[in-house]
Amino acid sequence: MKINKKLPWILAAATALMVSCSEKFLEPKPESFFTPENLFVDKAGYNSMLITMRKDLNREQTGQKNFMAHQWAASEAAVPWLQMDFRALTPNSDLYQQFVVQINDIFQMVKNANTVISRIDNITWENENDRNQILAEALWHRSYWYYRLVGNYGDLPFVKDEVQGAKLDFNTHSRWAILKQLEKDMEFAAEWLPEQTAAGAPSKGAANHLLTKIYLANLEFNKAVESANKVINGPYKLMTSRFGIDAGDSRKNVIWDLHRPENKNIAANTETILAFVDRWEAAAEARSAGLFTMRVYHCSWWHSISGKDKNKGLGMIDSGPLYDSLGRGNPDVALSDWHSYKIWANGTETYKNTPDLRRADVNWFDREELRYNNPASVQYGEPFDPKNMDLPDEYWARIYPMPIYKTYVPNKPDQAGQPLGSNGDWYIFRLAETYLLRAEAYYWLGQLQDAANDINTVRERANATPITATDVTLDFLFDETARELFAESPRQNELNRVSYILAKRNEKGYSLENIHEKNYFYDRVNTLNDFYLRSSEINILGQNPNIQPFHFQWPISDPIINSNTLGRINQNKGYVGSQNNVPPLETIE
Amino acid sequence: MKKPETPDQPRRDNEGIRHWKKYLGLSMAFSMSFSAAVSAYTLPSGSNKQPVWQTKSIAQTLQGRVTDEKGEGLPGVSILVKGTQLGTLTDVEGNYSLEIPNSNAVLIFSFVGYEPREITVNSSQTQLNVQLESDTKALDELVVVGYGTAKKSDLTGSVARINASTFKNQGVTQITDVLAGSVAGFQANQGTNASGGANMEIRGTNSLIASTSPMIVLDGVIYNGDLKDINPNDIETMDILKDASSAAIYGARAASGVILITTSRGKSGKPTINFSTRFGISQALNTGVAARGPQGYLDFRRDYFRTLGLSQPSYYWHSPEQLPEGVTLDQWRGASSNPNPDNTLEWLSRLNFFPTEVDVYLSGNTIDWAKEVFRNAKRQEYDVSVGGGNDNVSYYWSLGWLDNEGILLGDKFSAIRSRMNVDFKITDWLNAGVNAQYTNRDESAVNSKSGNESDNNVLPSLGGMYTTSPFARLYNEDGTPSWYPHGYPGGQNPLLNVLGQDRSRINNSLFASIYAEVKLPLGITYRLSFQPRIEALKDYNYWSPETIVGGFTYSGGYATRLETNRSEWMIDNLLKWNKKVGIHSFDVTLLYNSEQFKSWTTTLTNQGFAPSSTLGYHGMQYGNKPTMETNDIRYSGDGMMGRVNYALLDKYLFTVSLRRDGFSAFGQENPRAVFPAAAFAWKISQEDFFRSEGINDLKFRLSWGKNGNRDIGPYAAFSQMRSVQYYDGTNPQIGVSTSTLSNPGLRWEETESLNAGIDMALFGNRVNITADVYDATTRNLLVKRSLPRVTGFDNVITNIGALQNRGFELTVSSVNVRNNNITWRSNLNFSLNRNKIKALFGESGEYTLEGKIHQGEIPDFTNKWFIGQPVDVAWDYDIQGTWQVEEAEEALRYNLKPGDIKAADLDNNGAYEALQDKRFIGFTEPRYNIGFRNEVDFLKNFSASVFLRADLGHVRAFNQSVQGWSTFDRNSTANYPYWTPENRSNEYPRLANNIAPFGGGIIPFKQTSFLRIQDISLSYALPSHLAEAAKFKSARIFGSVRNLATFTKWPGWDPESGHYPMPKTFTVGLNVSL
Repeated sequence: MKINKKLPWILAAATALMVSCSEKFLEPKPESFFTPENLFVDKAGYNSMLITMRKDLNREQTGQKNFMAHQWAASEAAVPWLQMDFRALTPNSDLYQQFVVQINDIFQMVKNANTVISRIDNITWENENDRNQILAEALWHRSYWYYRLVGNYGDLPFVKDEVQGAKLDFNTHSRWAILKQLEKDMEFAAEWLPEQTAAGAPSKGAANHLLTKIYLANLEFNKAVESANKVINGPYKLMTSRFGIDAGDSRKNVIWDLHRPENKNIAANTETILAFVDRWEAAAEARSAGLFTMRVYHCSWWHSISGKDKNKGLGMIDSGPLYDSLGRGNPDVALSDWHSYKIWANGTETYKNTPDLRRADVNWFDREELRYNNPASVQYGEPFDPKNMDLPDEYWARIYPMPIYKTYVPNKPDQAGQPLGSNGDWYIFRLAETYLLRAEAYYWLGQLQDAANDINTVRERANATPITATDVTLDFLFDETARELFAESPRQNELNRVSYILAKRNEKGYSLENIHEKNYFYDRVNTLNDFYLRSSEINILGQNPNIQPFHFQWPISDPIINSNTLGRINQNKGYVGSQNNVPPLETIE
Repeated sequence: MKKPETPDQPRRDNEGIRHWKKYLGLSMAFSMSFSAAVSAYTLPSGSNKQPVWQTKSIAQTLQGRVTDEKGEGLPGVSILVKGTQLGTLTDVEGNYSLEIPNSNAVLIFSFVGYEPREITVNSSQTQLNVQLESDTKALDELVVVGYGTAKKSDLTGSVARINASTFKNQGVTQITDVLAGSVAGFQANQGTNASGGANMEIRGTNSLIASTSPMIVLDGVIYNGDLKDINPNDIETMDILKDASSAAIYGARAASGVILITTSRGKSGKPTINFSTRFGISQALNTGVAARGPQGYLDFRRDYFRTLGLSQPSYYWHSPEQLPEGVTLDQWRGASSNPNPDNTLEWLSRLNFFPTEVDVYLSGNTIDWAKEVFRNAKRQEYDVSVGGGNDNVSYYWSLGWLDNEGILLGDKFSAIRSRMNVDFKITDWLNAGVNAQYTNRDESAVNSKSGNESDNNVLPSLGGMYTTSPFARLYNEDGTPSWYPHGYPGGQNPLLNVLGQDRSRINNSLFASIYAEVKLPLGITYRLSFQPRIEALKDYNYWSPETIVGGFTYSGGYATRLETNRSEWMIDNLLKWNKKVGIHSFDVTLLYNSEQFKSWTTTLTNQGFAPSSTLGYHGMQYGNKPTMETNDIRYSGDGMMGRVNYALLDKYLFTVSLRRDGFSAFGQENPRAVFPAAAFAWKISQEDFFRSEGINDLKFRLSWGKNGNRDIGPYAAFSQMRSVQYYDGTNPQIGVSTSTLSNPGLRWEETESLNAGIDMALFGNRVNITADVYDATTRNLLVKRSLPRVTGFDNVITNIGALQNRGFELTVSSVNVRNNNITWRSNLNFSLNRNKIKALFGESGEYTLEGKIHQGEIPDFTNKWFIGQPVDVAWDYDIQGTWQVEEAEEALRYNLKPGDIKAADLDNNGAYEALQDKRFIGFTEPRYNIGFRNEVDFLKNFSASVFLRADLGHVRAFNQSVQGWSTFDRNSTANYPYWTPENRSNEYPRLANNIAPFGGGIIPFKQTSFLRIQDISLSYALPSHLAEAAKFKSARIFGSVRNLATFTKWPGWDPESGHYPMPKTFTVGLNVSL
């Protein structure tokens, strides 16, 4: 009985001992994720962040509302079909186009770069070269995206470091201050990035190419020529003969080969400076939604409003032949006659007889080639007749030629679903652009013959008629970039950049004081783009095309401004809220 | 603790009460005879029912009458021969007759509301009249409080109880179904799918991001499992701890209140077998909003085109049969450049009908999508339980199977639930036992979220139902399901998942509480309990090449296979001591607790199965793009608690408690926190000076305490790196990116609250009133603080700010009528909660709001949090109506057109700017909650109940009318009204309305107050002689209807579930006790 009486006490004491462990018991243990503390401990840790940044480059031209599509939708070449009145673009409106919210995505890429930049010296590097190379790539990515941000939005806060904790006191830096910073960062990157890199990773050439654009933006034209020289004299060469996947198809040509997604990252292609990698054969999580080129840039030829036959039955349908190769055009970026026809006219040359391979019949699908594809239609197989449309007067806007040499990316054999533009690689930088950038630098320097030579290098490869020095104007240069770099170069950014150069130089009546009321971007877009010229003739979703000078850059999203409660992020002039602006910071500390 | 009798008993002189008690007794007699509960006596009549004493010689038959103090007969008094199971009940007049064994027997006379009496009868006695004295405390039930029980009259905090009898006539899938509207201060909404369930909240939102669901305590131990795993048929009572003091002993997890669930236990005596079954049918309420009908769709398409601003004349889209006045057919035909010879075809072409739509229009076989998507859902449920025991052991075992269909085609939930509660008395100092619960849930077809758009749900898509035209075909000619029933890829077949997906989602769980209780010297008891919980979830999905998943068709099929195992344990060490010394009584509780949780999740996916995909998710290895992901979690916590209850003179009650908790999820700078509480209650009616005719009981309560909230996920303090898969053209690679900002200083939320309450019993306990007011402030709020997106992050979790909840709760229960034929009881609960943000980030400055410049703490505009406003405030444009045709010019000032929304422009500057023009226009949580239950027993064997519920004074976002309309020329929408030039709605805008000019976006809000007849039921208990003839202890049949009628102005599906259909359920059932 004595033992019985003690037993409970013993039990209790034993249990208490059992459970009263040390503080270690409460230590949190992450099990299936890394934290910066346990990741950035060696080179492999830093590299893993660079991999993310390389993948993020595909945001430029994958998915339906991609960044590049917006660049061309806001240009002479096209309108954003579903939001063709830019006055509907407000700091909070993103109903059908994402001119506003893409800023959030791009700043995530800036954040990723800053994580590496801020933590680069958290470890002791055995090899200084490793450190500098990793830092250089992070700086390249940050500069690449900031160059795009400045082009989209103008003045912005420059976020230089990894953000720790709640920071709500950002202030706007002027675009000039940011571009100066980018220049410094890219000079470092150009020094340390290797000449040869894996597909999809920026190299020394990609650094010098980007640096050329930044020098141009900073009006340092001699330096721009120098950095472009480093690329042009580097390991790159324009492609002039047939190569790659379709090389055996005699109906095609080198321009066709150049833009096959399968050819962009192969060794035979010496023109690629940088192209992102995005493959259908990758696991679903490792690939994007696809290039969406046939969705974004193609007209909705299959749509019942346009595609009716003479009995008002469906002449065009979204299945079968034609649909599988032209795809389900939406379009998000409706191409203008300027882009389809006018820029190909040169003297007696028209889009029909131009020797320019970039407008070769085999490279484009012209609207005259459309035939009713509905076997049930009375007009099956007959050529498309605009008179049958619900709105025949809108034929010019609704049905346009498609530059399939760039946009044709059919579904893979084992890929079902709508044909929108499958996965594929896409150019970020290509040597042809370097030539045209150097031509621009020569133009500003007044070396028009040098400019003409560079332009002709690009034109001759495409079998286009060469030009002379007297032909070199800023407008011609931008016509040429539209011919060569459609859906590759960020069009609105480049027009915006040149608008600032002209204003800074007070040329052609432009000045920085009233740039949001009068600028080169607007004057070109509003006078060349047929949609604005024929605004009253087309109405989509209740809107007629309209653009104003201040749309040369886009509004800063309201939530960004409103959540930054301890500082002032400026709104771009012309948009609601800009009355609260304070002068931007001119230096970056 | 019996209340000492006071010298005079004024309340007993009330004739009415006396009368009532008589009938109370009568009714008790019936209900006891027919009750499913274990009866401690056997019935005298009939014969072969007394096997025990038939073996002995019969000495005598005792007769007599039981009366109250006034000499009136008491019906239904239980008379039991002590130590046997022999007994009887008094009849309507209070008379009884009982045959007793041939020895000196002790009879126990007991009756609810009266002091029991024990009387020894000598062997020759044949007559015994007994008078019972009423016991005003007898109705004072024992309620469960944290780590113990207490008499209701001794409570110092605010505790509400729900008895199983409240819901015994309903079809209840999980217990939260019962709670919606039933308890003052407890907000819950009914679940809408086959598995039932609801969100719950006690006394308002007290956190912005952490969970505000109350914590569950099951049979005295903390329960982290799913409520679906608890069979409502096993539940005896639920007690809800609302104030800080009662909950504070659960410290870090109790800020949102605590629900204590007590399950059935075996009672001494021979086994009682209980069987019950229920059948039910559910239907969707209000399917009128589901989809546009054929004519509605034709009008919708016409009106969309007409108000879009196209170049054609307005009559262009009219039916040639119904042209507007003054328009001729020739004019109509002439509006098209090459009209089809057939007017109907021309018209349908103008309406942009797809070929399928034209065919269906001509054939007339339209589809009513609501009929395809919804169904009369069947529900069935079978439960059997056995309970019993003796002096040394008691047991209760149950097994239940429930199989519910939901109102959406395919929605289905079934569960097998079993419970075993066994208690052993091993020695006089040692008790031990186990409460164990096993559940197998089949959720293969359950809608796991109200949005209904998850890829994995094998359910109809409401979105598909809205967008698909009624001129459509569900199946292709070859019998396969049509992907795009009206020919447009934007209108996917809403039934595609139901028809094309194979899913198995099975959850097995086991929860047990194993305990030993030791009586130590000095009146101390020590209880050690160990609670393991294990859970295994398997969620497998397969989509064949014939179907679509996530917008894709996978030519070789696609399959996912998720497995999660959870394993946790908890240990409670509990020491209790209570002692009464003279006028002082003490009750001390000490606790040491520790816990650990681990889970392991593996997800496999694959696609492109070859040579064939017929093996589905059983043959993951046959695919060509395998992926895998693992996600393991662990956390740990500990707690220490001490509590002292002290009562002085049984009138002044004090409770003091202190708890210290530790939890691994918080930043290592603050892993622990302390939560104190104190309470005081004064039984005023016990005082000598207290004299009242009407008031039997009066108690005043006051409590204060601090509670915590730890429910933010185990790794919130860390900066987490997300993995990113990449393919460089040759090799798969893994990248990372930072997905959250770290916060090593993260700490507990603390809610400090003050509660004052009053409990009153009036008119002979016939009316009971409980009223409480409270004021709770939560500090160190865990907040996802919005960051400017230039940081690359949306937000960071920090502890900032303060949030206040104040409220009032009132519960009145009464017996309105009690006579020979009818007993009518009512219970009314009323509550209101007012919530206010007191502080946010502590950063002051100048800011603009509602067009005015303010000085003070800066709001969080992104999250719509404003100092001095409730969390649920609706801050948006104040919609005045719709711009009408006459106002076109004025509308143009805002770049708007007739038919667009007209909102107040506070500064009248011709632009809608969020900070200038948005206002506080309402609240999204109910301002008042009312529940009103009435129960009537009549015609001896019948009882009926009606439960009314009202949530009043709130608004809800109604986005439909401002959603994107770019595809309205090709698809349909949910059936909501809209503006046209003829039908000048001021409530709804035109179909193609423009919202771009509204800075910060615009959301229309609509009134969503409602009153509903939530439950009605009727039950019939078989008269005892019939039940006995069938050898039952009792038998009962019942029927009920849930959500019979709803009164509201809300234009959507249901004011409670918002944009989701709510079921109406009819249930019939049978309960038999052997």
